[in-house]
Amino acid sequence: MDAASFQFVFFGLAVALVSNCSCSWIWRSTVLFGASIVFIALLAHNLIVLLPLIGFLSLGYICLVLIERGWSRPLVWSIPPVIFSYIWLKKYTFLPERIFIDYPYFTLGLSYIFFRVLHVLIETGDGGEKRHIGLGSYLLYTLNFTTLVSGPIQRYDEFARDQYASEPITLGPRVVGLQLERIVRGFFKVNVLSVLTHTVQEDALAQMQQPFPISLRLFAAFRLAVVYPFFLYSNFSGYIDIVIALARLMGVRLPENFDRPFSASSFLDFWSRWHITLSTWLKTYVYNPLLLALMRRISLSAIQPFLGVFCFFVTFLLVGIWHGRTSEFVIFGVLQGGGVAINKLWQLGLTRAMGSKGYKTLAKNPVYISFARGLTFSWFAFTLFWFWANWKQIGGAFTALGVAQWLGVWLAIWLSATAVLALWEWFRAALLSIKTSEGPLLTSRYARVVYATALGLVAVVMTVVLKQPAPAIVYKRF
Amino acid sequence: MTESSTEGLEEKKLPRRDWILLPVLGLTTAVLLVCSTELIALRIYALSRTGGEDCMVLNSSSKTLGGIPNSVCWEKIPEGKLTEYRFNNSGYRSDTDFGPKLPGTFRIVVIGSSFVVGARVPIEEAFATRLSPELSQLTGQKVEIVNEGMAGAAAYPSIVALRFKDALAAKPDMILRIVTPWDIQNQSASIPTSNRNTAPPPQESRVAEFISRVLHHPWRAAFMLRHVLYESQSQYVKSFLMGGDSHYNAGFLRAEPDAEWKKQLLRFDSDDAGIEERVKAAGVPLVVVFLPLRAQAAMISMGEWPAEFDPFKLDNELRSIITSHGGIYIDILPDFRNIPNPEQGYYPVEGHLNARGHAIIARLLTKELTSGAVPALRVSAQPQSAQEYGK
Repeated sequence: MDAASFQFVFFGLAVALVSNCSCSWIWRSTVLFGASIVFIALLAHNLIVLLPLIGFLSLGYICLVLIERGWSRPLVWSIPPVIFSYIWLKKYTFLPERIFIDYPYFTLGLSYIFFRVLHVLIETGDGGEKRHIGLGSYLLYTLNFTTLVSGPIQRYDEFARDQYASEPITLGPRVVGLQLERIVRGFFKVNVLSVLTHTVQEDALAQMQQPFPISLRLFAAFRLAVVYPFFLYSNFSGYIDIVIALARLMGVRLPENFDRPFSASSFLDFWSRWHITLSTWLKTYVYNPLLLALMRRISLSAIQPFLGVFCFFVTFLLVGIWHGRTSEFVIFGVLQGGGVAINKLWQLGLTRAMGSKGYKTLAKNPVYISFARGLTFSWFAFTLFWFWANWKQIGGAFTALGVAQWLGVWLAIWLSATAVLALWEWFRAALLSIKTSEGPLLTSRYARVVYATALGLVAVVMTVVLKQPAPAIVYKRF
Repeated sequence: MTESSTEGLEEKKLPRRDWILLPVLGLTTAVLLVCSTELIALRIYALSRTGGEDCMVLNSSSKTLGGIPNSVCWEKIPEGKLTEYRFNNSGYRSDTDFGPKLPGTFRIVVIGSSFVVGARVPIEEAFATRLSPELSQLTGQKVEIVNEGMAGAAAYPSIVALRFKDALAAKPDMILRIVTPWDIQNQSASIPTSNRNTAPPPQESRVAEFISRVLHHPWRAAFMLRHVLYESQSQYVKSFLMGGDSHYNAGFLRAEPDAEWKKQLLRFDSDDAGIEERVKAAGVPLVVVFLPLRAQAAMISMGEWPAEFDPFKLDNELRSIITSHGGIYIDILPDFRNIPNPEQGYYPVEGHLNARGHAIIARLLTKELTSGAVPALRVSAQPQSAQEYGK
């Protein structure tokens, strides 16, 4: 149920069907709440394993009530305990092991609940628009089964706007068709594309440890690095496609989490297209406040541009650290932060050297964009080693080849990504240029029916032939 | 606008004709996709109407189970080439009839099931055929191989025990018994009454019968998909460990074999004791070798497997059974650690050894048989490095 399986899809569709039996927000909220409780109960099996999660939610709600009652310093005092509770429950390895709870408990979705809880606390304590979030709304928002497992991280006001609307947003045949098509596409991404790419990655990893000739090991290293970004994308974005479509069928518009990330022409651009809701959350609650605070304290105009570089580094370091509780993810964070910081420095340096106009002209050059796109992809692929592997696997992979050979592999990845992604952009643009009176032929409902049928059929056949459970969603463990 | 945004499309009304057109389009796409894929798969993965078993008697109503003497059949499996099955006057797969042993010749009778027969490959590519020149070259003496392997029900252990007199009658200097998980799994198998399964179909309603037929139809497109997916080492091992394949469950790979496998091993223990007694009485050394299945070979080569599995478990169990009866057991499984992608030596779906797999097994057997386990075949220098097996 916590994967992009038939069971999950049918469960979601059944809930959507019941939810649409009445337009009343009370009915829709009751159905969503009931479904979320059933969903958690099916995964947790018993109440004992849920106690830590209940405790975390209770802490969040107590803090929320204190802030709403306008006590003088509750925001300042409530955020650290919530953050510490999260780190403690997630068992981050830098904490002493003896302080952890020693029985297995339910942590699925805790990271996403954490973001939602912090969001309501900060927004409520911010002194802006006054609002009251009751216990029911708080639980409905934090435990919503469509966003529980892997997000997307939705803002409370956006959730409340759709969930509590007296008239739910329209749901005609066209919208239903589009959502069903999106569910099929998501199911295909997770159950076909991510299975195939994961297979390629596992084979490549095994081949690097086996006594193959050097040419085959170089090719294995190339595949190992190249294929994981595609696996992660199909696995995560496929699941997000399914939950966004299910939520829409229930009358809730979830935020998009991906925007063709491999088309990004810089690492900064990449993070505005990949896991958008996470990077937006951190930009809102880490980058912006940190930058403002530093700019208030440091007024030297020569240094101010570099404050942004520093804040980007800190923000994306936290992005990396959030992903996992081990030291590998600290390195992953350093590489993400380093990537965006260097990217920002590069922009500043070129702007200084060429002038603002000159840099803008360069940034629009198709050749420059293609190489930058290839570099962005290859850097992301490189950093992902610290995302999917443990130190033993990383050591094994990197010692299988010499330094010069690895540099050759990365150069090959950069050049290949440059060429392949440029070709893809050209091909996509060419396909979308074929238009009818209603728009591009490729996005017409006729084309969507054809490819949704084909993708659905392939996904079902593959699921039946392999007789394996649906692949786990990588982001559910974060 | 993000990649899946549908803003702007939601308010428009669906034209009436689309209520017919869109389902028809979907149905047409599905039918075209299924038919075209099936046609392509039928062409690429063709299957012959005849098979090796057409030259064999495999039911208990006949006097003798085994190959029909002096017969020839042809077989083409989806993953392999057209293969000839020629049976000699003794009913074994061989181009020549077995004669008396020539002076100065070291005769080895090889017994076992389909792997020994060289099922799905030409007889000249079978490891038993390859053993003769390889052993002769290495030992400097003429080594003759008499392949008394048998496939299908004719290789059930109960029948092998009955046919064991053939092996002794050939006056061998050594008997090489090849054991596979299939032999253990079928230790208690009974002989079918007919070559083909003629069990009456269960009574079902027409709709249920149609659905059952569709689901159980051997779609070649599904075969093609499975073949492509099983080319991957990791995918194949994962699939096999989750549920085995159409022939085996993965019980024999478990660190703690299930009750069924334990029962079959007890039966094997008892049968082997009888065989060992007979060879001792005849004064012929019996060497037993265990050949791994595809998933097992891949796991050993990868060097990693889930904690609840152990690809060496059955191998160890067999060694202790054989040696407890005073037999010679030679172990080739550890050699698979040094063979990259050994699963490529098997047909991905069908599971038998292909030509490459037979070549690997022949080399491993040559190495182990000449390493001292059989004094008469011992040579001082081992010829090849482990990595050559994979070539």
